[in-house]
Amino acid sequence: MKMRYFILIAFFFFPLELVQSNAKEVYPNLSEQEVGRFVDLTHNLRCPKCQSSSLSGSNAPIAIDLKKIIYKLILEGKSNKQIKTYLKDRYGEYILYDPPINIFTSILWFGPFLIFFLTLLVILIYIRNRSTR
Amino acid sequence: MIPEIGHIFLISAMVFAFAGGVFPAVGIFKKNAFLISAYKPLIISTSIFALLSFLMLVYSFSKDDFSLLYIATNSNTNLPFYYKLAATWGAHEGSLLLWISVLCLWSLAYFFKTRQEEDKYRCLTFVVLSQIIFSFISFTIFTSNPFERILPISPVQGVELNPLLQDFAFTIHPPLLYAGYSGLSIPFAIVISALLTNSNKSIWARQARSWTLLSCSFLTLGICLGSWWAYYELGWGGWWFWDPVENVAFVPWLISVALFHSLLVTDKRGFFINWSILLTIMAFASCLLGTFLVRSGILTSVHSFALDPERGVYLLIIFGYFIFSSLTIYALKSKARESNQSYSLYSKEFGLLLNNLLLVILALSILFGTFFPLIYEGVTNGKQISVGAPYYEILILPFAAGLALLQGLALFLGWNATEDQSFIKRILIETTVIFIVYNILVYVFLGEITAGAFVSGLMFCWIVAGNLIDSFVLNLKSSHLYKAIIRRFSLILSHTGTAVLILGVGIVSSYSLENEIKLSKGEVYSFGEYQLSFEDISMFNKKNYESEMAIIGVTDMAGRKMAPMFTEKRFYPSAKQVTSEAAIKSTIFHDLYVTLGDDLGKGDWSFRIQIKPFVRWIWFGAIMIALGTCLASLTSMKRKE
Amino acid sequence: MRKILNVVPLLIFCILLAYLFVLLNEDKNDLTSALIGKEIPVFELPSLKDPELVFENKDLKDLPALINVWATWCAACAVEHPFLLELSNNKGVPIYGINYKDSRKKAIDYLKRKKDPFKFNIFDSSGDLGIDLGVYGAPETFLISKKGTIIDRHAGALNSDIWDQKFRIYFHQD
Repeated sequence: MKMRYFILIAFFFFPLELVQSNAKEVYPNLSEQEVGRFVDLTHNLRCPKCQSSSLSGSNAPIAIDLKKIIYKLILEGKSNKQIKTYLKDRYGEYILYDPPINIFTSILWFGPFLIFFLTLLVILIYIRNRSTR
Repeated sequence: MIPEIGHIFLISAMVFAFAGGVFPAVGIFKKNAFLISAYKPLIISTSIFALLSFLMLVYSFSKDDFSLLYIATNSNTNLPFYYKLAATWGAHEGSLLLWISVLCLWSLAYFFKTRQEEDKYRCLTFVVLSQIIFSFISFTIFTSNPFERILPISPVQGVELNPLLQDFAFTIHPPLLYAGYSGLSIPFAIVISALLTNSNKSIWARQARSWTLLSCSFLTLGICLGSWWAYYELGWGGWWFWDPVENVAFVPWLISVALFHSLLVTDKRGFFINWSILLTIMAFASCLLGTFLVRSGILTSVHSFALDPERGVYLLIIFGYFIFSSLTIYALKSKARESNQSYSLYSKEFGLLLNNLLLVILALSILFGTFFPLIYEGVTNGKQISVGAPYYEILILPFAAGLALLQGLALFLGWNATEDQSFIKRILIETTVIFIVYNILVYVFLGEITAGAFVSGLMFCWIVAGNLIDSFVLNLKSSHLYKAIIRRFSLILSHTGTAVLILGVGIVSSYSLENEIKLSKGEVYSFGEYQLSFEDISMFNKKNYESEMAIIGVTDMAGRKMAPMFTEKRFYPSAKQVTSEAAIKSTIFHDLYVTLGDDLGKGDWSFRIQIKPFVRWIWFGAIMIALGTCLASLTSMKRKE
Repeated sequence: MRKILNVVPLLIFCILLAYLFVLLNEDKNDLTSALIGKEIPVFELPSLKDPELVFENKDLKDLPALINVWATWCAACAVEHPFLLELSNNKGVPIYGINYKDSRKKAIDYLKRKKDPFKFNIFDSSGDLGIDLGVYGAPETFLISKKGTIIDRHAGALNSDIWDQKFRIYFHQD
């Protein structure tokens, strides 16, 4: 009984591998790792025409075109950074979902953590003072 | 005729709400008992008329009354009946009426639950609630009236309910979400009342906590449903997009969680009184802010409703009035409460203080991130940036880790100080044991251990060890096990729910597989442990859409045929919109997700295929949290003083 | 001390409220071009009317000028077309066209029917030049300086209001 259960679970859990079989990829000739990169990039780049959507989640003509460009660039051997720069040069920072790191955005990137530790410090000092009274 | 009655009822409700928001307060000021006691019939009348008005609108939808502009733009005769009713809250005007109705239901619930209380304090809570209700009804009537008629000639046929919204989950998502949002009015009213009556009794803290828990429960369900709906309806497998409107629902959720934790301390130990009051105001403020942001067009989003600046101004005034006055009352009336008691750093008090610090800073950071592109554009004179998932994911991780750490310790820290510190060793051992088992399972079944799986797994094991496992281990031999679990049941349920959710997020983020392929009829494709074959594609017409449906045959690893999957692309002629309906095969451990793509000619079609491991755990965890908070709310309401 | 601390939330709130009022009254902007200040991207594409003829950057001689990205499938392009005619015929503004992801035959017919305001038209059937320009839809109009750099970009149909606000001063018009 237990054995059957184990096999059943094993079937659900079998190591997942992408088998590049006879099927024609819409974006062919990509290795497994490159497919992963493609998925990642299209999820993390913004569709310039849509109000709020990634390239992956959009069927707008420009999104489709940009996906084709990304595919082409991956085939040409460009790195993720190069691809992002390519698109950023044409569409601006807006197309990247992670905000740049510069003086203005440092408050966004570091602010939350700084505020947390500062507030914690203040509270600890306050509690320390109170108990020594 | 019916819409006119509905309209009149709405106006009546507004008048009653105005009276209820003014006269009882005057009564308190002038010590006029009659005016004070008037709050009771006034709140009841307000609520009943508002609810009837809402029902009239629903009725008009069911009868296809296209002489109402709102119905003509959001419904048509071909819409299935169930969606005609739900179309009532499909757009801005009607959704406001839903909000008002839900708020009135809360008011009624609070009214009947608190029968036995002191009149002045209770009266003030309904004064506040009436003012809130009045604000929203007047906003509706003057800027967004659903009862507006198209005269003299009304259309014979309407337009359409947005096809994306023609779905079961959509129909219950707004009511639940609004229940969560508007429910936070109750603790707000309680707190204002407590401030104004200078009440020294801390009954208000327990009451506020009960109602916050209940609102949070609804909010959890509403957000959970929204996420699940987006997952299967939008067709590409995402479940959270850090969309401004999503963020603006997440922020009140985080604050309300911080709130009922803070109120626990206030209730049990009398600490954090001023902080709890402030936090309650913040929670309500975040709801009003959310309403404003969604309906004013400031933040563009897939969710945005009305894009009318006049409406924006009105909502901003409402927001300004309530928060300005409540913060002024706070500034004037809150007392410097020096307690002669203190608490050590190894105490529940301090743990909950850290909990609040983490939750509130996270909430404010998310809010800041949502506004940031606008601020940046202003400061840099026109440069546009996006703040999206990459940022928020980096932001939330350390905060979630800190909260998970605290959650594991929740049951062991004592009030004031923790004498018995032996628990640390115990839960460290328990965590290590299940963590090792977890990693082995992940390695065997998913092939590798990624950072995401490791970190989320660690948090999962730690929380489960501290909240669940230890109760078993400690009480296994004694008869106390049953009692120990029952007493803490809602806490164990919600905390474990968080653990389940975290695990789901971690695993689905690291191990999702995705590919886009081209198939001709009869062709087979291997993906993960499945063999998928494109069997057929056909066209057919339904009541209000045309569909192209592909049938995908599925065989598992052992070669056994499984139930086929159906994925569609639908065209809604009225709205001129195309939606894709994904086919999803779910098991506890993963989803197989197939979406029909484009016609590539010569009988070839593209498909997007994904495997999403553990994705259901996210919503299952959220449901656990919702149940746990609801249970905690009901048990705390039942408890006698 | 306590009293001062109590007023802080109120003050912070007032700042937030003021900021939201400001935001409400601002105009919504379309996406700012990333190419402002930069030169027109290098291209070598066929003409719309004559497939044998190839245009390159140096052919954009009459500067300052407008570059208008359009297509027959784009409804707003038809709406702005009369205004483009007015600009090029009555005001003598040089307009170069990029026919974006369109059918050659349909585009030539369209220009025959509706008259041709363009000095010439580049046939960008793949949309690649569009992407190099950061185009995300049609119509879009770029303002090119005397030196051949991009000064501004307007996404959406061009009309006299936008012309007055954004572009007119570069052409020394009244």
